[in-house]
Amino acid sequence: MDSMIKEKIKQVKRGDQTAYEDVVSFYQHKIYQHCYRMLGNAHEAEDIGQETFIRAYVNIHSFDDKRKFSTWLYRIATNLTIDRIRKRKPDYYLDAEIKGTDGLDMYSQLAADNRLPEEEVQGLELQEYISQEISGLPPKYRSVIILRYLEEFSLQEISEILDIPLGTVKTRIHRGREALRKKLRHV
Amino acid sequence: MNCNKEAIQLMHKYLDGELLKEEETKLRVHLEECEACQKHFHELKRTITLVQSTGQISAPDNFTQNVMQNLPAEKKSVKYMR
Repeated sequence: MDSMIKEKIKQVKRGDQTAYEDVVSFYQHKIYQHCYRMLGNAHEAEDIGQETFIRAYVNIHSFDDKRKFSTWLYRIATNLTIDRIRKRKPDYYLDAEIKGTDGLDMYSQLAADNRLPEEEVQGLELQEYISQEISGLPPKYRSVIILRYLEEFSLQEISEILDIPLGTVKTRIHRGREALRKKLRHV
Repeated sequence: MNCNKEAIQLMHKYLDGELLKEEETKLRVHLEECEACQKHFHELKRTITLVQSTGQISAPDNFTQNVMQNLPAEKKSVKYMR
């Protein structure tokens, strides 16, 4: 899959806009999910997810082909989500109802997996609770926990995505794990 | 072994897949005799499992289409080059 993406990026750099559609299509769910986990709601996730792909497109010539495209893309997405979090008004609520969606909040969008109905109710409530606790982490811990455990990047890759030293990544992961452990130990 | 400093540090090294052989032995020996650390270690591992159990979230249906519609025109893209 990496070679397919590499080829598409080359085409985009040569000015072939349609090749970009395959790139977006391939990464859309990953990037959207990353934004959703960082921001905690569907509206902002879509907004920032869209912005990520547009920024990547207009800056495609600054992407170094020798590097991994996904790392570069996640870096744009993470920076944009953190900017958005900083610009939020202090009275912004993560579990606020999304306007015009009749009771829909961030938690109602979590996908269910295939389990028995009675397990599913319990499972979904638990998933919502866990997601809420992840969203409640300070952004610097939230980003590393999401990248490590939900996107499964290596520590080295996370260091590249966030542009911070490997030692800092480790410290943040340790603190993030400890913070979540305290929140989830009674679950 | 000092639980709060050394043992917990080793647990995190283990979780990062960076525990050396002798450290692994040290941690194992300590866990066998320290119930509090056993509990701590179990909670950490469980935390990771719980985080990973949260479902995947999909992008809305028209996501790709919307991006493509909002891209700047091809010839203008040169303007954004660094």
